[in-house]
Amino acid sequence: MKKVLLVCLKLLKKLTLIALITFVLTFTLYITNGENKLIYYVVRPLLNKHYDSQVRDRKI
Amino acid sequence: MSMIDKLIAPIDKTLERFDPKWQAEHGVGGLRSRYYDKTGVAKWREWRGVKDTMVDYGAWMKNLVSMALMVGSAPIPVMKGFWEYRWMGSFLGTFMFIDRLFEGYRGKELVIAHANMHAIVQSLTKRIAFVLKNDRRLGGSVEGSEKIIPHDETITPLFLKGFKELTPFPLQTLPEFIICDVDQHIEPYYIDVAEAYGLPADVCSRCAAETGVAIDDAFPLIGKAMLSTNMPCNASEATSMFQRRRIGMPDFPVTLAMQHNEKEALPYSRQTLKDAIAFVEQEYGVKYDWNEFFKYAKLINEQNTIELEKWDFFKTPYSALTGIAETLYRLYSWQSVNGQDPYFNKVDRKVIKIMRKAYEQKYQAFGGKTRHRAFLWGPSAVYYTDFPTWTQNCWGINIVLNMDSTMGFNMIDTEDPEKAMDDLTRFTEKACMRHHAVGGWDNVNAVWDWAREFNCDMVLMNDNIACKGMLGVHALMEEQARDLGFHFIFVEHDLEDSRTVSRQDMRNCVNKYMDVVLGEKPLDPTLVEFDDSDAY
Repeated sequence: MKKVLLVCLKLLKKLTLIALITFVLTFTLYITNGENKLIYYVVRPLLNKHYDSQVRDRKI
Repeated sequence: MSMIDKLIAPIDKTLERFDPKWQAEHGVGGLRSRYYDKTGVAKWREWRGVKDTMVDYGAWMKNLVSMALMVGSAPIPVMKGFWEYRWMGSFLGTFMFIDRLFEGYRGKELVIAHANMHAIVQSLTKRIAFVLKNDRRLGGSVEGSEKIIPHDETITPLFLKGFKELTPFPLQTLPEFIICDVDQHIEPYYIDVAEAYGLPADVCSRCAAETGVAIDDAFPLIGKAMLSTNMPCNASEATSMFQRRRIGMPDFPVTLAMQHNEKEALPYSRQTLKDAIAFVEQEYGVKYDWNEFFKYAKLINEQNTIELEKWDFFKTPYSALTGIAETLYRLYSWQSVNGQDPYFNKVDRKVIKIMRKAYEQKYQAFGGKTRHRAFLWGPSAVYYTDFPTWTQNCWGINIVLNMDSTMGFNMIDTEDPEKAMDDLTRFTEKACMRHHAVGGWDNVNAVWDWAREFNCDMVLMNDNIACKGMLGVHALMEEQARDLGFHFIFVEHDLEDSRTVSRQDMRNCVNKYMDVVLGEKPLDPTLVEFDDSDAY
């Protein structure tokens, strides 16, 4: 019984730690507006370059 | 005060100087101070106090999970979609879009706004994955694709729910109707494609953009036959024709009566819907099932019942649902979802509970800073979706209700197919951009009754400079406003083309009226003039 309790406690500790690390990481990304900066300054310019190079057949 | 409130009160006090609303009140900044010039990219996210920042962070996480689920459910089609379609790239601006929409929101209005917004995000992400998975252009299976009925975005899909085996899908919603809300730079590209082909530059930019999407082969290839329409107005007939030629599928034009208030119009529109059903039965080899239809009619009836209760709260100063949180949700949940997704019923039940409580507590949104209550008439500039948020934050003008929120709110019979058909016709005729814009002078002029009923002292009239129909009523509306004693502002815009009239040009229409005519001072001076021309 004690062993099961100890395992549960260890698991809870691990889960709390994971949750805490996840929170710190995601909250930092959130508050610094990190994902939007990455999208605006890096991802979209690269995608736009690709879209602009596409050849489309526009005959009707 | 709850235990948590007591615990966070000292933290809020210490950090209040980072709150842009506090900064505006104390003359040391404001909501615009945290942005890089022109881009609309914020240096950091808005600090709203511990509780509201956590609400916003929680909503951000939920939306992030929805997006991850979208990619996870169809990783290859989604990647192919990003590679193939320019409009898919614009969906990456969604987080910035949501931040803009709910800037300055706090307390109950923030909770409701995010509940509504997440309903849209979870629905859209599922739809994107679904359509890309079945897109023949991206290698989707013919069998899967032929279980979809593509239809024009302004046709309400509810009546198509009688086809148990098929999924109705509004064809223009992803590449045009929704995405122009998110990114002001996407539709000008498609407009240019249409104009390069020879389309005149002075037509409605919505129709021009749709035509450009068709010519650019940017519509997903789905379905066996499609339903086009003349709604909301006759400009749509032209774009339907271009799309039909380009897509090359059998189509049925659902042409509903323009003068839809007249009794004589009902049998005509009713027959058109019946013919549309017969067309789908023939093309897809399926049978219409009224019992299946009634299941979904019950869902929309519940949504409309809750909507009418919401309207009672809108008439008071104690509505926690307000501005763009109301407008955008109603537009999407009515026009696009239209009773097809029970998640929206769940959200409506949750929201109405919060609204009832807020009313009992005499809770005033935006800290009671509202100075004017406005009815927003007309299709708004969809490249400036956060315009109602700006009017509130800058001048204290609360957009109580938007014209498109008054779309079909009649109940639909859920037992008798004949009665249901009549109700459904009335319901369908009052679709997006039609209730107060199409169908004769009485429909347009009803704006004053609506404004009065909702206790508004102001009417903002969106002036789509390419809408030939509405340009003719300018002077008449101005005269009416003067006679009836409403504050009245024409807000010029070009619907989906931000190059013709910029967001700042739109803001200036309000700025001038508030400053010169009313002599009022802005609540947040950082919002009066700023450059967001490079923002999504």
